Amino acid sequence: MSKKPGAAQALHKVIMVGSGGVGKSALTLQFMYDEFVQDYEPTKADSYRKKVVLDGEEVQIDILDTAGQEDYAAIRDNYFRSGEGFLCVFSITEDDSFQATQEFREQILRVKNDENIPFLLVGNKSDLQEKRKVSLAEAQGRSQQWGVPYVETSAKTRENVDKVFFDLMREIRSRKIEDKAASNGRGKDRAKRKKKKCIIL
Amino acid sequence: MVPPPVVTGISPKEGPPGTRITIRGEFLGIKAQDLIGLKICGCDCTLLAEWKSPNKVIARSGSCKGRGDIIVTTLSGGQGTSTVQFRGYHETIGPMKESAVWVEEAPVQSFAWGRRALSPTNYQQEDPLGLSVEGNVKKFPEDELFELYGDASGELTSEKFHPGMFLLQHHHATSLDDLKAGLAYLRRKVNSQKEGQLSFLKANVGSVMEQLDTIILLKDQFENDLKNYGTNPMEQLETAIKESMIEANKLFDDILARRDRADATRNALSVMHRYKFLFCMPINVERNIKNGNYDLVINDYARVKNLFKNTEVEVFKKVLREIEYRIETLREVLRKKLEEVPFSLEDQKKIIRNLINLEAEGDPAWDGIVSYANHLEKSIKTCTTEYLESESREDDLKISLAIKSNVSTPMSIKQFKLTKNEENNTPVKVQCIEALCDIVMEQLPDLWRLGQSYFTGQLHVTVDAKKQRPFKNLVLSSIQNAVNAMKASCDSSLEASWFLYSLKRIRQIYASLIHLDLPSDALDIFGKFIFELRLQCLVGLFKQTVDKILLLKCKETWEIEYLDGDGGITKMPLYFEEMVMEVSKLARETAIICGPREAPLLENLNHQTLYYNEIKATFAAFARCLQQLAFNCNEDIIDDEFTMVPQLTSSSTVYKNKDIKPHGLTWEQRLLISLSNIRYTLKVLLPRIEENLKFQGYPDLSTTVGYNSDWTQLKTLDTAVLNAYLERRCDPLVGIIEPNVYIGNLDWNSNLQIVHVKPYVQEILANIIAVHAEVRHVSPCLLERVLSHIVESVTEELARLILCISYRFSSSGIIQARTDILLMKKALENYCSPRAENFLDEALKAIPQPVTKEDAQKIDMILTKVTTLMQLQLSCLMNNIDNVNTTLKKIGYNQLTAL
Ligand SMILES: Nc1nc2c(ncn2[C@@H]2O[C@H](COP(=O)(O)OP(=O)(O)OP(=O)(O)O)[C@@H](O)[C@H]2O)c(=O)[nH]1
Ligand SMILES: [Mg+2]
Repeated sequence: MSKKPGAAQALHKVIMVGSGGVGKSALTLQFMYDEFVQDYEPTKADSYRKKVVLDGEEVQIDILDTAGQEDYAAIRDNYFRSGEGFLCVFSITEDDSFQATQEFREQILRVKNDENIPFLLVGNKSDLQEKRKVSLAEAQGRSQQWGVPYVETSAKTRENVDKVFFDLMREIRSRKIEDKAASNGRGKDRAKRKKKKCIIL
Repeated sequence: MVPPPVVTGISPKEGPPGTRITIRGEFLGIKAQDLIGLKICGCDCTLLAEWKSPNKVIARSGSCKGRGDIIVTTLSGGQGTSTVQFRGYHETIGPMKESAVWVEEAPVQSFAWGRRALSPTNYQQEDPLGLSVEGNVKKFPEDELFELYGDASGELTSEKFHPGMFLLQHHHATSLDDLKAGLAYLRRKVNSQKEGQLSFLKANVGSVMEQLDTIILLKDQFENDLKNYGTNPMEQLETAIKESMIEANKLFDDILARRDRADATRNALSVMHRYKFLFCMPINVERNIKNGNYDLVINDYARVKNLFKNTEVEVFKKVLREIEYRIETLREVLRKKLEEVPFSLEDQKKIIRNLINLEAEGDPAWDGIVSYANHLEKSIKTCTTEYLESESREDDLKISLAIKSNVSTPMSIKQFKLTKNEENNTPVKVQCIEALCDIVMEQLPDLWRLGQSYFTGQLHVTVDAKKQRPFKNLVLSSIQNAVNAMKASCDSSLEASWFLYSLKRIRQIYASLIHLDLPSDALDIFGKFIFELRLQCLVGLFKQTVDKILLLKCKETWEIEYLDGDGGITKMPLYFEEMVMEVSKLARETAIICGPREAPLLENLNHQTLYYNEIKATFAAFARCLQQLAFNCNEDIIDDEFTMVPQLTSSSTVYKNKDIKPHGLTWEQRLLISLSNIRYTLKVLLPRIEENLKFQGYPDLSTTVGYNSDWTQLKTLDTAVLNAYLERRCDPLVGIIEPNVYIGNLDWNSNLQIVHVKPYVQEILANIIAVHAEVRHVSPCLLERVLSHIVESVTEELARLILCISYRFSSSGIIQARTDILLMKKALENYCSPRAENFLDEALKAIPQPVTKEDAQKIDMILTKVTTLMQLQLSCLMNNIDNVNTTLKKIGYNQLTAL
């Protein structure tokens, strides 16, 4: 195991959101430990952190796996506040979960107050094509509307699992570099940009 | 070698104690036995850790609080690290929260000795809408709520729960959107509880399993018990429970009893401590009484009274009774003190104040006054009796020091007096007066001041104005007592000087009493006494002088001092004058002089008379003294003198008399000197003394009753002395005339040649001259008085003798007789009273006229011749002393003696 000074290591905070049972925990565990959990155990809030090599750079990824169950909706606000990037997961086999992504998106934007927050729309359980309820076009339409990438994954087959995490980390990293440049250079840049986006939308 | 474990995942990342946690990571142990340690948030959870795979361990959190690492220790890899952290918290459970374990919903009772409730999970409220309540600062008015919902409640647990009221109470300021979200949340929750039983069971499968196990165990147990104890084990159970209860109680009885005792003791101690003041009070009171800290006692008593007066507690009552008893004894003691022991005014006041503060019954202030007065009276009484006793004893035994003073009369004074007595021989009566003075001085002012303080309210009692009168009477009677006692001691047996001494002392008291502002009738008692005393002093002083005057006679030396114009006197009159002046001066300075608030002594006629009488007495005494000097001294020899009288035939014998006193003076001389003294006293001293007394402010003596009669008795004495003298001198002189006339057979009928006067004439003249000389030697002033008497007697005798001649005178007889008488007449011319002249003229008439002219001429011739011859004798009887001196020079002393 390579050991580099932790202080210099970047830490990217990823938050898993989405309705209950869509496979957030399954995705996380697949990414973290290369295992697939068949049983459904509703999550409250789980925390994972490990070193990964992102484009040759050793960074730390911190994954907060939140509860999809409505029981825990009240505590989401607090969790979202600390997140730098979001994987908004729905199950392609369940339309309700797709519909719920709208709600999650709004809550995140409200809490973070940032249109450009790193955000991926993830359609899970892609191995269950026969049970598909949400069409690709439908999902892509929404992702384009939001201006975010859409990726379909399978926690069972590990399809696109690493991709969604690494893509999000890249986005986070680039946002951080952007922010750094912005705060080093013109301080009001971010606010400006935000405003621009608003105008575009 | 395996690397150390690393924990990279945790599910869930937070939870209350006992949360089932899935720990994921690397190198978490190659097998179950390899996992030897698990710490979550510093809390050792190894016991409940379940090794699943090298990547997964299932554990339960301990009762940790806060965020912390998950440290896994393996045999193969050692102590690991953690990239994630667990946060422990104590969950709050409410009606909106499902729980698989039993939670006590009733408010947790806190037990007597403050142990925490056994359940770690407290029942607490949580907002059912899942909304934060933080922002709802604005409260809905309480009264409006009441108006709207009456006695309904906004409490979730209440049976009268009203949702509207709840919303107004808690979400009065929440926006509609939020409320909508809240409603959705609540709905989801209710639905999940309805439908999500499976998930709930899944979440709490551990607890459910445990409960299931317990139920199975119970069932087995029950079936077993049914076998052992039958279908109805209740009785057995009951007895068993009872037994066990008894046993349990037995176990704890002792402890409980001890605890009860300890509690009781602690209670008692705390009560004791709290009321330490009260419980210590009796001892404190006792001690303070012993030490005389009455103020402290009073303070404490007042405090106790204030605090516990109405107490119902038996113990307090008991203590109070004890205190009360002690206070009562203190009151008694104080009262006795007030009655018995003589205290200073301040002490007295203090005791009274103390008594008042101790709420003594009655009027302690007044009692104090009365007992003070009684004490004063008693002191006076004991003092007098003691001194009188000692006086009588002294009279008997002459031991005054033997008296033991065991009575309350101030010891020191008495002792002092007694020693003083030894030194100065102060009469016991005077000592008594002094002691009385001291008592009055010491106690009366205090009594008075005490009374004043009483009536001016300084004693902090309600003043009884009615007591003014009795108080005054008390003071008056006290003073009267003292004065009476003093009076009894001031009897006339005292010497004047002691009177003066006493007067001085009593005046001192009087002065100090005047300063006290005593009522005037009180002072008047003293004033009257002083007045009497002054009179007594006056009288005493004069009496003393009288005694001294009577003793003056011993001082008589009979040395004559010659004064111009007043002849010779002895020292007696001057002594007398000196004494009178001395006593008058002393009396003036002591008795007569008016002290403050004293009346003039001699204004009253009676007192004037008293004074006159005293003056009179002094003079009378002096007269008596002079009388004794003139007569009594010689009483024993008078007889002798008288027997000698016949022998007194020649003038020379007078001087050669064997009866010559040690002073070298004859009685006649002394009579003369006395006469001169009397004369001087009357003529010179009396006016002078009168003047002097008047000058000193005494009443005028000339207004005395009987002033013009012989009040000094000196005139009477004068006459007596003169008579005595005349008797002594005249009788022999006259007596020898007749024999002398007829010496040598004088016959007026014969005719003899007449050349000289007859010898009897010479004899008479010589005798008179002798008397003259004697008188003149003492005082020329007496000459006329004395000699005129003698001449009268002589001429009377002569006239008698001439008239007795019954036969005819011869012519020469006529000549002779006429010459004799005429010569006599001429010689005695200066001392002839009209009566004496008359006698001589009668004698001449009885002698026939000269027969012839020659005869008449012859008479003249013989007279001239005889005058020349007898010039010395004749000049002796002249008044002019110079004549005598020149004549003496001419003739010489020898010739005189020859005569
Ligand atoms: N066939 C298939 N099943 C999947 C896939 N992902 C998840 N599942 C199953 O879906 C169920 C739910 O998966 P979870 O990952 O626990 O769901 P979740 O999103 O974490 O749910 P919450 O924790 O309640 O929010 C599990 O039984 C999984 O085995 C997938 O890609 N393919
Ligand atoms: Mg999950």
